[in-house]
Amino acid sequence: MAYRRRKSSSLFANFIKFAGLTAVAVYAVWYGYERFVAFNPEQILEESVLKEKTFASQAQEVISPRHKIKAYLIEDNTNPIISISFLFKNAGLASDDAGKQGISNVVAAMLTEGSGALDSQAFKEKLENLAIGISFDASLDDFSGSLITTSENQEEAYRLLADSLTKPLFAEKDLQRIKEQLYQSFLIQKEHPNSILNLEFAKYLYENHPYGRNPLGSREAIARLTGADLNEFLQTHLALNNLVIGVAGNIDAQKLGPVLDKIFGSLPQNAGINFVRNPEVNFSRGGKNINLPAAAGQNISAFATPGVARTHKDFYPLYIANHILGGAGLSSRLSKAAREDKGLTYGIYSYLGLADKSPLIRGGFSSTKENYDKVVSILKEEWNKFGREGATKQEAEDAKNYLVSSYNLRFASVADLSAILLYMQKDNLGLDFLQKRNEYIKNVSIEDINNAARRYFTTENMISVNVGQF
Amino acid sequence: MTAIRKICAVLLFLNLCIGSAEAGLFGAKSFVLENGLQVIVIPNHKAPIIKQMLWYKAGSADEESGRGGTAHLLEHLMFRGTDKVKGSRLNDLLEQNGAESNAFTSLDYTAYHQSLDISKLELAMALEADRMQNLKITPKDFELERDIVFQERKQVVENNPAAPFSESYRRLLWQEHPYGRPVSGTSEEIKSLKIEDVQNFYQKYYSPANAILVLSGDIDESTAKNLAEKYYGKIKPQATVSETKFPKINEALRATLKMDLPQINAERLVRTYIAPSYNTDKEAIYNLSVLSKYLGEGETSELYKSLVLDRKLALSISSDYDFASRSHGRFSISALPAKGVDPADLNKAIDEELAKAVNSLNIDKINKTKNKMLAGLVYLLDNPFEAAEIAGRMAAVGMSIEDIENHADNIKNVTYQNVKKAANKLFSSSARIDGILIPKGEK
Repeated sequence: MAYRRRKSSSLFANFIKFAGLTAVAVYAVWYGYERFVAFNPEQILEESVLKEKTFASQAQEVISPRHKIKAYLIEDNTNPIISISFLFKNAGLASDDAGKQGISNVVAAMLTEGSGALDSQAFKEKLENLAIGISFDASLDDFSGSLITTSENQEEAYRLLADSLTKPLFAEKDLQRIKEQLYQSFLIQKEHPNSILNLEFAKYLYENHPYGRNPLGSREAIARLTGADLNEFLQTHLALNNLVIGVAGNIDAQKLGPVLDKIFGSLPQNAGINFVRNPEVNFSRGGKNINLPAAAGQNISAFATPGVARTHKDFYPLYIANHILGGAGLSSRLSKAAREDKGLTYGIYSYLGLADKSPLIRGGFSSTKENYDKVVSILKEEWNKFGREGATKQEAEDAKNYLVSSYNLRFASVADLSAILLYMQKDNLGLDFLQKRNEYIKNVSIEDINNAARRYFTTENMISVNVGQF
Repeated sequence: MTAIRKICAVLLFLNLCIGSAEAGLFGAKSFVLENGLQVIVIPNHKAPIIKQMLWYKAGSADEESGRGGTAHLLEHLMFRGTDKVKGSRLNDLLEQNGAESNAFTSLDYTAYHQSLDISKLELAMALEADRMQNLKITPKDFELERDIVFQERKQVVENNPAAPFSESYRRLLWQEHPYGRPVSGTSEEIKSLKIEDVQNFYQKYYSPANAILVLSGDIDESTAKNLAEKYYGKIKPQATVSETKFPKINEALRATLKMDLPQINAERLVRTYIAPSYNTDKEAIYNLSVLSKYLGEGETSELYKSLVLDRKLALSISSDYDFASRSHGRFSISALPAKGVDPADLNKAIDEELAKAVNSLNIDKINKTKNKMLAGLVYLLDNPFEAAEIAGRMAAVGMSIEDIENHADNIKNVTYQNVKKAANKLFSSSARIDGILIPKGEK
């Protein structure tokens, strides 16, 4: 017994020893594999010599001395460049007079066609010689503009921008040329199926509401426009009380104050803009197919369901939820299901559309005629499943990590910075938004995300337009 | 605003980009690792972000005839996993770490890139280095991605109603030269691709000595050197790639392609000359860059003034010169005819105005043009992502870092006599195709 016991204990001891040695060996191999062979992202990031930094620039508010014009500023002296972004709230396409649809577009084009003593050619020569960029644009909601200049030529740049806003020439021959170019744009706009889809989807969503208009305006209305109309537009639409300004680059607060007076000081105090009511979208209408016999390749689809405004309490949870479902490029659920796993489409995505008066969750995809029905059913299945079940913890963590880590990418150029400052004000996000934004994302819980998913992701409210062959 | 103006703005910007610098265009540094990988570093400390781009000097022009789409399909498969980083893990890791990651294939090169926070750069470098050597292509992934690139061609190329025109136009212009083939491959070619096609392409062209790493952002040269060495330095060098031989161009080629197509509502006119590139005639490219700016880049250019403003024959006109190619370059003029103007008449008028503009060249005009090209140098130092793309593209076709950095000086040294000579040679003795696209049923 003793022997046996001894034997067995010795066997046992040997076994332990052997097992221990094996364990050590296995561990060593495993460790070596993990350490030196396997791909170990955590370790790479932990040992990275380049550490995390916060984007140091602080936004500040500047008020001009004379006219009390407000701007947000980020001073950045890396390069001798200054960027000014500005917009006039509610002065965009949707508020164009019904009989003058397209006027905001025409004004945007005409403001760089000469001002003060400079005719169109002289004005453009000057911009090019001094490397000054001035441009204007009319979106659905707002009328916006931007200036980029080198520090060296800034004084001339401010003068040219002030003149283009307040002393534009609106010469008849230039107006005629811009009109002819726009007529051509109306033709080209109806060529590409994507462009046709955008036009048709806006019409289907918004019907007679101004959001349903052609973004170029109306050809007939544009044909009737005169220089006097354009001047009237300036007086009624571009004013101090609907102006928002963001500035970034090689300029400090003290210098900026008087510059704001100089550029914007002669604008009228108050704008008189048509009120645009909120559209009432009938989301229960489902889809509409538009046959395009000449379409050579694909069926394309645009869809939408109700969303929330930028300042709504559900914005961040919904933003993260949408990222998981359709916002994350190839890693989104929609992409994985329809593209990565099945190869049915080149692209499927969703995003939050934040038009002032009609926040939506929007999306789109394309596929050959043969795959189309399959993609539609994957879209519906994934969309509703996400609404029912929400995201996993891991998905929520991954999405938040992406949104936090990628935030600094928005600060690549001074023009990006000045534009962000503009939208911080338009959406009332606060002067400390850049410092707080990542906290807003981090503080969203999985419950918040899944509540938002439940509330907003259902195809019952999905409306779509599809262009191709059906 | 209108499409026309947006296109002009883009052209202006590109011109600005390619034409500027004083103490170097980007302040870029370049060095080569022992295995042959060239590394270009562009420090920019404005924000804690960086763009990594890995450019392979191989694109669709290197495909074997009939195997169109190989380079592009391989680009897609580079996202489908390696021996170490399986399946979609690369996408997932980059996504979790806030990277914007993508790739593109062109005639001459294929590039992979990630924009990301500086603290995540090493992860992107490790992943990029891994897929340079360890790519694993499974038959299942191959078939899925072949379906996806087929869908991509349908969506991006064939859904564009002008695509049949542009593809025929390129074929006619380049004849047997691979620049005449679509980067995507034709639909038939895509369907006939085999897993061996992409595997062979990968084996042949994806190696350190055939690639350029660009790091542009919040990093200094010595850190970049250490990291490049750490992640890419261990990759084994491969036998040097034999350079693709491009066929000769028939300089006597002159023809017009006229097509009417459904879904087209507005007439277009284009002409392209096969022109010198950095690799065929380095001296000529600076003269032709200035010529293009002078003739048709922007709304103060000669052709815009004469044909849009004075004679009102066109609604827009622009020229475009591309010297950054491994084989020949090209010089194009495109225009939208004004209402009621026959594109053929506009084409004749372009001939007249080209001749006038070239004949009237003098010191004063050339200096004005050069000043416009050189005025905005400093903007190139602003955005690290754009700098990576511009510098990388030039380097990928073989431009030395000195030539990239000294581009502005080379523009400064251009004389009006040389521009005139270059113009006369280009317009009289280069292969040239004119193209007219009109709505279906129009004559």
